[in-house]
Amino acid sequence: MLHEITFTVNDEPVTLAVKSHHTLLRVLREQLGLTGTKIGCENGECGACTILMDGEPVNGCMVLAVEADGHKIETVENLNKSGELHPLQKAFVEKNAIQCGFCTPGMLMMAKGYLARNPHPTEDEVRQAIVGNLCRCTGYIRIVDAILDAAKEVA
Amino acid sequence: MQPFDYYKPKDFEEAFHLMNMPGKTVYPYAGGTDFIPMSRDGFWKCDAVVDVKALPGLREIKETPDGLFVGAAIRMNEIANSDLVKSHWDVLAQGAGSVGSEQIRNRATLGGNLCTASPCADTPPALYVLNATVIIRNAQGERKVAIADFFKWVRQTAVQNGDIVVGVVIPRPAAGAFGSYVKLSRRKGSDLSLVSVAALTFPNGKAANWRLALGAVAPTPIRTPAAEAILEESSDEAHIELAAKSAADTSKPISDVRASETYRKLMVANMTKRAVRMTLSRREKGG
Repeated sequence: MLHEITFTVNDEPVTLAVKSHHTLLRVLREQLGLTGTKIGCENGECGACTILMDGEPVNGCMVLAVEADGHKIETVENLNKSGELHPLQKAFVEKNAIQCGFCTPGMLMMAKGYLARNPHPTEDEVRQAIVGNLCRCTGYIRIVDAILDAAKEVA
Repeated sequence: MQPFDYYKPKDFEEAFHLMNMPGKTVYPYAGGTDFIPMSRDGFWKCDAVVDVKALPGLREIKETPDGLFVGAAIRMNEIANSDLVKSHWDVLAQGAGSVGSEQIRNRATLGGNLCTASPCADTPPALYVLNATVIIRNAQGERKVAIADFFKWVRQTAVQNGDIVVGVVIPRPAAGAFGSYVKLSRRKGSDLSLVSVAALTFPNGKAANWRLALGAVAPTPIRTPAAEAILEESSDEAHIELAAKSAADTSKPISDVRASETYRKLMVANMTKRAVRMTLSRREKGG
């Protein structure tokens, strides 16, 4: 079954036909070419596909594309759209919070969504916020540092 | 993922028409956090899903004369962060806030948590101690099912084909009620419960009534009447120990990949103590 949906992706209105059983993750990557959002476990466990839906972090693999109709979606590609790195991206670079990089887009979007709600988190709160984002290089210390650094910048 | 059709009706009449399409297996669909993985792995097969999120009332949280109404399509984070829920039904907010990760809590719904009926679900123990009622509708009408009659077995509930869970109604607990939800899992966040305990106490004259419910240690959540009676005699340390032992005796856990039966029983006792002490400390502090 095909559905024509209209939604906002990275501040741009988009209308396209999607299949009932396709996830938003798949449509973002395969129909819109936004491959910054990564495919990890496709099971809601790893957070590599974290995007913002109406500003809230969700797993792109756990949303049907048709459900995005009328909603506002933001992916990692939006962070440096102006040509300049987002403070979170800068902090990740400065803190060396990237090893293989596969979890990074999800970490960035989770952090962006979280800081919007809690601009002055403690270290423990940041750790709690990213429990749904797995870094299999286990570089959590630098990731947490980067998010805390960026929080100072964003606030 | 196997293809299926998707519908998002705006009223119940259309919803039930779709749910009862002849020769079709049709599932109600809410948050998708159980449906999508189960469907992709081939465990759940259907011809179509009916998204319930646009149905009247399913996205409402409000106080009614019968108590708090929480619509079936309300998300876990919406419950966990709701000032209304926290005002008198905080134990439910605690349960909802301990589900999965932030990302999952932004999609998973109360109706889904109930209908999936996993023994380790985090909102049912809270709903047990709060004496919630589940409201179910089908083409014939509406019916109310007490939470204790809702869960039948692992992944089996009072919900029949063609039913849609509308939401739950939770009576307002007596003034001076305090509750706690305690969950033990292998890692601190984003993991399934090995053992969970919901505790609620409220004044009854000079005495105090207690309700305890256990999750993940029986095919359905269970109340522990014997342990509750012990705490109603007294909630001093000696009685807390006795109640914890009694709760462990009442539990019927299984051994599985996450923990053994013996370990789970020991942890029922520990988590019961933790939940009772936490509730007492909340009562002392008044919040």
